[in-house]
Amino acid sequence: MVVLAIGLILVGVFFLVVAAIGTIRLPDVFTRSHAVSLTDSLGAICVLAGLALYQGFGINMLKILVVLVLLILLNPVIAHATIRAANRAGLKPQTKEDP
Amino acid sequence: MKSSYLKQFIANTLALFSVWLVLSGKYDNFHLVLGFMASCGVAWLNTGFPHSPFHNFPWARVVLYSPWLFLRIVESSLHLTKLILNPSLPINPRLITYQSHLKHRGAIVLLGNSVTLTPGTITVEANGNTFLVHAIDETAAKDLTTGRMERKLAWVFQEDTNH
Repeated sequence: MVVLAIGLILVGVFFLVVAAIGTIRLPDVFTRSHAVSLTDSLGAICVLAGLALYQGFGINMLKILVVLVLLILLNPVIAHATIRAANRAGLKPQTKEDP
Repeated sequence: MKSSYLKQFIANTLALFSVWLVLSGKYDNFHLVLGFMASCGVAWLNTGFPHSPFHNFPWARVVLYSPWLFLRIVESSLHLTKLILNPSLPINPRLITYQSHLKHRGAIVLLGNSVTLTPGTITVEANGNTFLVHAIDETAAKDLTTGRMERKLAWVFQEDTNH
């Protein structure tokens, strides 16, 4: 159980590191937001699932699961709000044709 | 109308109270009564909006839909990881206008949410049934452009997609 939990947390940390690298490497706000969405999908899911397993069954596991559900519901809203604001402020997404 | 309001009020109260039970972790009478009163108050403030996207929401089939969405998230996360770690950064970002045929407001909310939740695609604007979606390359956008995600949601909300 503990080994599985640590494995899940390490996988989650790997995706968090990839997301950080992506945020630096990608060119504009639109593509960078994709890298950030990697954080809240697999990164956070793996880390929180690992923590829930590590805690074992009980009230703390339920609390972590509530955080997980809220994260899944709310993170797209935040990402969408950021990108819509960028779009309405007149930022144009970079495309391959005009770098 | 009156009885459906009462049903919704009770459902909201129970949902809020269960969140209270999980988060408070104290089960003496004082905290239970306090939590129940707070749940009733919040449910009273929030019930009775007929245009809420959660009106007639098929919760059971949404739960069946979530494992499929989770697999899509894992798959596109791995795709995006490969793109980011590739030294030549082979991205091909684009904006896609997508016209959805879904009717239920909850279906449209869920479609926009699923698109944003899947790494590699993000909803920029949602105006009625028209979505403006930013995708990092054509592979990431495939689920949307081939209508695969919309067909899944049409099954969830029992609508037909033959338009």
